[in-house]
Amino acid sequence: MIKYLLRKALGWLAMIVLATNLTYFLANLFLDPKANYIDRRPPVPDAQLNQMLHPYNLDPTVPLLHRWWTWLTDIVLHWNWGYSPVGQSVNDQVGFRVWNSAQLMLGATILACVLGIAIGVYTASRQYRLGDRIWQAISIIAMNTHIVVAAMVVVLGAIAFNNAVGHRIFYVTGSSSIGVTGFFNVLVDKAQHLILPTICLTFISYANYHFTQRSLLLDNINADYVRTARAKGLTKARAIRHHALRTSVIPVTTQVAFAIPGIFTGAVITESIFGWQGMGNYFYVTIAKNDIHGVVATAAFAALMTAVGAVLADILVVIIDPRVRVN
Amino acid sequence: MTSPILSVTDLKVSFPSEAGRVDAVRGVSFDLLPGRTLGIVGESGSGKSVTSLAVMGLLADSARVSGSVRFSGKELIGLSDTEMTAHRGNDIAMVFQDPLSSLTPVYSVGDQIIEALRVKNPHMSEPDAQARAIELLDLVGIPNPARRVKSFPHEFSGGMRQRVVIAIAIANNPRIIIADEPTTALDVTIQAQILDLLKVAQRETHAAVILITHDMGVIAGSADDVVVMYAGKVVEHAPVHEIFSNPRMPYTIGLLGAIPKVHRNDKQPLVPISGNPPILIDLPAGCPFAPRCPIAVDKCRQLEPPLDAIALIDTTPSEPEDPQLSGDLHQVACWRAEQIHGSTLDGEPVFPVPAPPTSATREKPREERSTTLSVEHLVKTFPLVKGAVLKRRIGSVYAVNDVSFDIKTGETLSIVGESGCGKTTTLLEIMGFGADVEGTITLDGVPLKELDARGRRTQRKNIQMVFQDPMGALDPRFTVYEIIAEPLHSLDYPTKRIDGRVRELMDLVGLDPAHMDRFPGAFSGGQRQRIGIARALATEPKVLALDEPVSALDVSIQAGVINLLDHLQAELDLSYLFVAHDLSVVRHISDRVAVMYLGKIVEIGAVDDIFDNPQHPYTEALLSAIPLPDPTVERRRNRIVLSGDMPSPTDNEPGCRFASRCPLFKTLPESDRMRCLHETPPLHGKDGTDHRNACHFR
Repeated sequence: MIKYLLRKALGWLAMIVLATNLTYFLANLFLDPKANYIDRRPPVPDAQLNQMLHPYNLDPTVPLLHRWWTWLTDIVLHWNWGYSPVGQSVNDQVGFRVWNSAQLMLGATILACVLGIAIGVYTASRQYRLGDRIWQAISIIAMNTHIVVAAMVVVLGAIAFNNAVGHRIFYVTGSSSIGVTGFFNVLVDKAQHLILPTICLTFISYANYHFTQRSLLLDNINADYVRTARAKGLTKARAIRHHALRTSVIPVTTQVAFAIPGIFTGAVITESIFGWQGMGNYFYVTIAKNDIHGVVATAAFAALMTAVGAVLADILVVIIDPRVRVN
Repeated sequence: MTSPILSVTDLKVSFPSEAGRVDAVRGVSFDLLPGRTLGIVGESGSGKSVTSLAVMGLLADSARVSGSVRFSGKELIGLSDTEMTAHRGNDIAMVFQDPLSSLTPVYSVGDQIIEALRVKNPHMSEPDAQARAIELLDLVGIPNPARRVKSFPHEFSGGMRQRVVIAIAIANNPRIIIADEPTTALDVTIQAQILDLLKVAQRETHAAVILITHDMGVIAGSADDVVVMYAGKVVEHAPVHEIFSNPRMPYTIGLLGAIPKVHRNDKQPLVPISGNPPILIDLPAGCPFAPRCPIAVDKCRQLEPPLDAIALIDTTPSEPEDPQLSGDLHQVACWRAEQIHGSTLDGEPVFPVPAPPTSATREKPREERSTTLSVEHLVKTFPLVKGAVLKRRIGSVYAVNDVSFDIKTGETLSIVGESGCGKTTTLLEIMGFGADVEGTITLDGVPLKELDARGRRTQRKNIQMVFQDPMGALDPRFTVYEIIAEPLHSLDYPTKRIDGRVRELMDLVGLDPAHMDRFPGAFSGGQRQRIGIARALATEPKVLALDEPVSALDVSIQAGVINLLDHLQAELDLSYLFVAHDLSVVRHISDRVAVMYLGKIVEIGAVDDIFDNPQHPYTEALLSAIPLPDPTVERRRNRIVLSGDMPSPTDNEPGCRFASRCPLFKTLPESDRMRCLHETPPLHGKDGTDHRNACHFR
């Protein structure tokens, strides 16, 4: 098992290295840090721009392969992922943004999974009855709602609520207020900032789990072994819980395993709307600002997270499905 | 007279469907007495499984159930799921048909038995439950129970899984065990083991058993009383000896006549029941069997006969030591039952026996006929690989290991053996013209391996195949015309004559050529298999390879297809290479039989030699495992029950493959045993006969 996982992890590592280097060259082809200064009046002389970008290993007069080598050795020897065109350290940026994203996404991901699976189980055991139909309608709407729409509705509702009570209960932007101290106060402040984006993200993503879990459970609910379990003397509800659910949750687990790394890569639009400085926002900003090193670091991080998700899925499936043996 | 443990009265079950209300069970009544075995027989769709599920309260929510099911006097119909739960498992337990799907794949078998124990005995401690689970596994004959209790279902073979299902069923000493086709999915040798085990389980728990099956042989061996169902109703109910010696309902007579007799050598054609079972939506008035009944009169078509008691003729007890166990009631639903005696009406058989087909070729001795297909030293291996990316070959599975035989004109060779013995692989490799195997295949005098693409196409005409599943083998989007014409088109048959040829072929297999624009979905199973045969015959082949052609069909339909094959062979001088697991069909249809075990032929010879005078211990065991549709013979037989399952065919060391299960091996002295283990026995026979076997000591 451990040998198998090591082999898999090594394969993924090779893939990440390849993808990251490829991204580096692509980013250099498409992104031009000098373009950031094109609107300057009076125009900045070319030589001066090159001079400005030189310390950040972005000087276009230096040959690309040369820059690539510098970039690569910095990473391998010093774990330094480079600088933005204005000199911000990529390491610093990613370092604090990952946790911002995690705060935002963790709750929403857990809620979406739990809610989606619970609704899936509830509706599967009431197939075609009223409860199933109502949830199906709600989930179809939820699935097709764009995050922007959902966020607007939630934000407008929250503002209306704040105005109605005359006090700011929900914050519609930012991840925390400045100057809050004390453990309890920080916690309340965090919750006030988190609640709106969490609602939005949960709303648009739970339906996927609902539909998957519902159809998987329905496949198993009439299985012969559920009938055997009932013939043993288990009630229908218990036979479904113990036998049908246990087998139908296996494929959903894989899906959840892949969702976990997504927590850290963030949500581009949500972070932008609610003004969170997370990884999603970083991805958008680095491209807009021609920040080559930032873009490459984001891509590398996303690749790493995908790999973690895949290995996690492998481990989970082996744990919960005795039929799977990796040898 | 003891009071019944289960009393079913006027049970009716209907399901909604798109075509209308399906009356799956239309008023079934029977009593089950303690300690007895009640056999329920009938073809698919007769309502036997629905009846048992209704007793268990396990029908789908959409089913409408009425009537009465009383367990020890307590009404079960109308109980809620929770109330019914109190009876399931400890009062009534059930064994289902398919052992592969009736255990939950993600729990160990021990956990599944323990769950059954603890749901009924919440105070049982974990170690006690564990110990009882091991005890139960031991009782049902799982070797090494203490270790195997932690194994998962996929680590067991089909027969072993069925043992586990039986262990679960008897875990709480039920008063009634319902076994719904418990052996249908299993090989005959395993079937014999499981039927014996059910008897053991019945003895251990003193339970009454309801045994549902379509196999009259299983009924003959196991049941005390028999209920015959047709179109959702009981049409005959009698003690087992009476059913077989004095059936009174024409359907029962037809069912018994349609079964090939494995223990007798009669080359008489089988007696098929014409037509198909009715669809149970808006049944017309009258007896539902009347359209298929050869002796139906006007009254039969107007009024459905009730199930009435009739005088019992054969009073042989089913268990001579315990005559109490036999029933004393013969009920039959037929207006003409009083006139029928010993399967005859006014001295004439109820079902007229068709005349056997004759042909000049059949009269000729075997040596004078030409050889159409010969196979020499056929070896087919599958690689056994290891590794995820770089797949290394670490061994071979010998699916077919040095098989040789030949087939003459107008002759049928059957290959028999347990599943996994390589019989279908042999067939498929011959159909593949031996492209990737060792050995020589000669078809009609032409060695197939050396042919170029054009030659292969020409030879393809000479051998065609009929498949097991008549539904899966026909393209549902093709009309019958297109299906039959397709091989003609691809083999450049003159386009002008295709139309006439298709008509001719449909006529030949007993289908109405007027139906040639219909799709396969519009035909019944037996008719679809006829389409498959017509398609195979289109190119005028010399050899037909038949892979279990009748195993998916009901007994009454199967007889018609077997007769058709017999008739076609006589008319067209076809050679058949026949693969089947039903040995009674094999005995009926074959001229010669090859018995395969683990990729090797262990015995080959003329059909009567093999069946009447088997030489190899494996053949003996295989034949003794076949249930015979005759209670007198069946109950006196001594079975050779093989222990264990077939080992996997991975090693090709010298030695006899069968030694690990061989009953003869166990009786041999040490020196002879070494010979079995280290020397591969060749096929040999007494001088002057072609009955050969591969055993050192026979």
